[in-house]
Amino acid sequence: MAKTKVDDINRNIYDVVDKDNYEFKMQKGLNREIVEEISKRKNEPDWMLDIRLKALEMYNKLELPTWGPDLSELKMDEIATYVKPKANLNNSWDDVPEEIKNTFERLGIPEAERKSLAGVGAQYDSEVVYHSIKQELLDQGVIYTDMETAVREYPEIVKEHFMKCVPINDHKFVALHAAVWSGGSFVYVPKGVKLDVPLQSYFRLNSPESGQFEHTLIIVEEGASLHFIEGCSAPKYNKVNLHAGCVELYVKDNAYLRYSTIENWSKNMMNLNTKKALVGKNAQVDWVTGSFGSKVSMLYPMSILNGEGARTEYTGITFAGAGQDLDTGFKVVHNAPNTSSVVNSRSISKNGGACTYRALVRIAEQAKGSKCSVSCESLMLDGISRSDTIPVNDVETDDVEFSHEAKIGKISDKEIFYLMSRGLSEEDAKAMIVRGFAYPVSKELPVEYAVEMNNLINIELEGSIG
Amino acid sequence: MEIKVNETPVRTSRNFRINNLKLENIEIPNNLKPFKNIEIITQKAEISNNVRKYKLEYGNGAVLEENAQNEANSVLNIKTSRKGEKVTIIYTFTDEETILVNNIEINTYKDADITIVYKSNTDKACFHNSVIRLNTSPEDKVNVNIVNMLNNKSMHFESMENSLEDNTNVKYTIIDLGGKVSATNYFADIIGKEAKNDLKTIYLGIDNQVKDINYIAHLKGEKTEGYIDVQGVLNDEAKKNFKGTLDFKRGCKGAKGDENEFCMLLSPKAKSIALPMLLCTEDDVEGNHSTASGKVDEKSLFYIMSRGLSEKEAIKLIVRARFNKILERIKDEDLLKDIVHEIDNRL
Amino acid sequence: MKKLLEIKQLHAQAADKEILKGLNLTIKPGEVHVIMGPNGAGKSTLANVILNNPQYIKTSGEVILDGENINELPTNEIAKKGIFMSFQSPEEIPGISTFNFLKYAKSKISGEQVKSFKFRHDLKEYVEELNMNPKLIERNLNVGFSGGEKKKNEILQMLVLEPKIAILDETDSGLDVDAIKTVSRGISMYKNDSNAVLIITHNNKILENLHIDYVHVLVDGKIVKTGDASLADEIEKEGYAKYKKVEE
Repeated sequence: MAKTKVDDINRNIYDVVDKDNYEFKMQKGLNREIVEEISKRKNEPDWMLDIRLKALEMYNKLELPTWGPDLSELKMDEIATYVKPKANLNNSWDDVPEEIKNTFERLGIPEAERKSLAGVGAQYDSEVVYHSIKQELLDQGVIYTDMETAVREYPEIVKEHFMKCVPINDHKFVALHAAVWSGGSFVYVPKGVKLDVPLQSYFRLNSPESGQFEHTLIIVEEGASLHFIEGCSAPKYNKVNLHAGCVELYVKDNAYLRYSTIENWSKNMMNLNTKKALVGKNAQVDWVTGSFGSKVSMLYPMSILNGEGARTEYTGITFAGAGQDLDTGFKVVHNAPNTSSVVNSRSISKNGGACTYRALVRIAEQAKGSKCSVSCESLMLDGISRSDTIPVNDVETDDVEFSHEAKIGKISDKEIFYLMSRGLSEEDAKAMIVRGFAYPVSKELPVEYAVEMNNLINIELEGSIG
Repeated sequence: MEIKVNETPVRTSRNFRINNLKLENIEIPNNLKPFKNIEIITQKAEISNNVRKYKLEYGNGAVLEENAQNEANSVLNIKTSRKGEKVTIIYTFTDEETILVNNIEINTYKDADITIVYKSNTDKACFHNSVIRLNTSPEDKVNVNIVNMLNNKSMHFESMENSLEDNTNVKYTIIDLGGKVSATNYFADIIGKEAKNDLKTIYLGIDNQVKDINYIAHLKGEKTEGYIDVQGVLNDEAKKNFKGTLDFKRGCKGAKGDENEFCMLLSPKAKSIALPMLLCTEDDVEGNHSTASGKVDEKSLFYIMSRGLSEKEAIKLIVRARFNKILERIKDEDLLKDIVHEIDNRL
Repeated sequence: MKKLLEIKQLHAQAADKEILKGLNLTIKPGEVHVIMGPNGAGKSTLANVILNNPQYIKTSGEVILDGENINELPTNEIAKKGIFMSFQSPEEIPGISTFNFLKYAKSKISGEQVKSFKFRHDLKEYVEELNMNPKLIERNLNVGFSGGEKKKNEILQMLVLEPKIAILDETDSGLDVDAIKTVSRGISMYKNDSNAVLIITHNNKILENLHIDYVHVLVDGKIVKTGDASLADEIEKEGYAKYKKVEE
């Protein structure tokens, strides 16, 4: 019998290693001196240093999670929390140092900017090396810059929002993030301004045994709308790297935000990321997430529907191969009447990889008339992998419509036969079915990303020998 | 003392408030006099007081498990070897007998029907803790019904465990009505080839009742089937935690599992948490789960009221209609009448 | 005349149960064959076994296409050699439009690059002939199609893929009178002197506007009677009772 083998994601372009050619790399580990040093190098105001130090204290107090994937390989004293690349922030690709520019060119970032983006940010290790935005958006008052610049130039806005959506005591890695954060993007879309093309920030971690702790803060004012795309990748090293970013989204009344992520970290990455959105009256936040990389992921974007009539949709796919333990999902809290949420999650496990869908839906007592529907499907491509579904549904009042459905299984033999009867080989048929399985997610992505995702899910068949 | 019961097989974030049920100020009774108010109805089943010591795979926590194994005031070993053997055991709580710790081992060698009923004739707060283990033989068809009709001041803890051999077919029915706190733990080890375990539960929560339900099925053998179907109603300030786990173990080729939980909410203060888990390390399986909750369907309500029923009567009717599919499995008509009466009273 | 498809002493089983019990059938170019039979006789099994559906096991016998034994070929190779099966319940495949799928399948079967422009043009003609909503081919393959639309889509695929022999497995079931006529028109469009059709049906309606060469009665895994078109009328009136007796 022929046996299906699904290729590992073709990582060639992601795995190109640049020399670890930094201007400054912090000593490994984490203590007060290191935190103070990061702050000093960034020339930060005291209020930010205070947040960092408070967070460090919190980090030392908080426990590791008692659930989820094994984090024992992560040793903070072997991780450099801050690596400054040999580059300053530039507004022109021409000014970005050659090697770094080549990396981003391989990843198609400048090209994407020319073609289809309203603005681009690119972070290399701990610092943002490139940021630009179309003039017409600047004229409308849109701000898109790196977080360090935002702290300097818009301190009032940052002070009001930074670590307010995600409190520093949320969990241990949030506290860690707040203590050593560096880089990331700041977006402010003024009232009523609608961006019809996306902004994109790309995060690249090159330096081995280091961490990336970028902070993304997005404020979409009343009636405004934005599509933000986040991409991440890193070459593979033998030692563990850490990513503990934090994303805070403020979606004000009647505003709209779509937040898309294609995460393709290398398989030595511990991806312990935190993302949360506060959603106002009749506002909407949509999450589109593709998780392909990292060794361990714990990632559960969260929408808090605080305004009456607020809505959220989550569309996510997770693809785990050999050695990967990807624990992903979505959290939503319905805090106001007539709010609604729709969750559509897909996962694919192969070659011994493990996918876990972990989720929370909470409909609070005051959220009368709210609706939530969850659909969750898992595909097992072989009998050595793992797929778990762990959703918590917490309904605290009666006037709600709540439903949750989940399915687990393999590729349908009937579908394979149907496609083969039309001339497709077994491997082509399987590839087509797997792409179809991922389709609810890929159709939500901008076209170039959908193509990239389909290429990532490349399937081949290994026939029996002889 | 403070104890934690009904731990989920896989932990999740503590903030999700479902990993276990914490009970404060609970007294665990010991040195008990034998429980006398037991009625055992059977024809030829062999009943003795010898129960093997056994460590439960899951259970309701160490404290309650030790209590049931060491302090039981009713110990029963039921052995059925005649096809179609029926055994009914009725425990009745009274003002004089308010504490029951029972440890039951059932061994079937042929098809059997086992029913265990907890009745209450007292307003006093009672305590009940039990372990019920079922060991089957290949090809057995076994029905087990467990009916909890304790009063709403009482504590009710039950740990059930089944192991299934080749082609065994177990139909387990739990009617969970009584108890201030009712924590039920159920584990089916579906080992044998083509074995099938079909669990159906009705629960009803009123006043401040807390229902903590933790059901686990391991599908191990080829072409095994595991079903969990839970239908419930919550009124007043009742609270329910449902944790259901279908665990497809590597090697269970061709296995099927379905988990279905529905909670009807009759009050804005009622609270329903559900954690329906699917765990899977085998590709050749079909696993599904669905959960839903919400209030009574307004269209049905309107339709029934247009035929002259009051709102209350209409709700009762809708609830009964939901429960009927499961109640059908209670073949003893007197018992069924008792159960229906109890449900109507409580609603 | 040369034989297009020859089935010799075919035995097959599904889920350990023998369904085909020594079936013989020969189809020559230009012919239209009809297989009728009671439920469970093995009609759909025959179609699936010819295409080597792994759900069924051939226990003995031969399936020969153009003189070549295709017993062991995988389904897609059989399709490439020119056997098409219209499914009773076509599968829904999200993520690919019907148009793109047809183009892809056509390139696989013909082994040639397919030119989009011409392909679209040809397709448009077929779509009109089959009274299909032209928007359907932009939708994902069979996803959200009604029962009738799925069946027409099967006929569309038959027209596009141009097989040597088309096996229509109850393509008429669940269709209204107008849709059956449309399907029947599709078959006429496809049919020529060098290809052949094998229609599996319960219903005479689909046969009305077609020239039928042979009608076979399949009972309990064997063909028990072969005749001309008049046999279909006889069965419509009298049912299968008498053939079941023959079996006993």
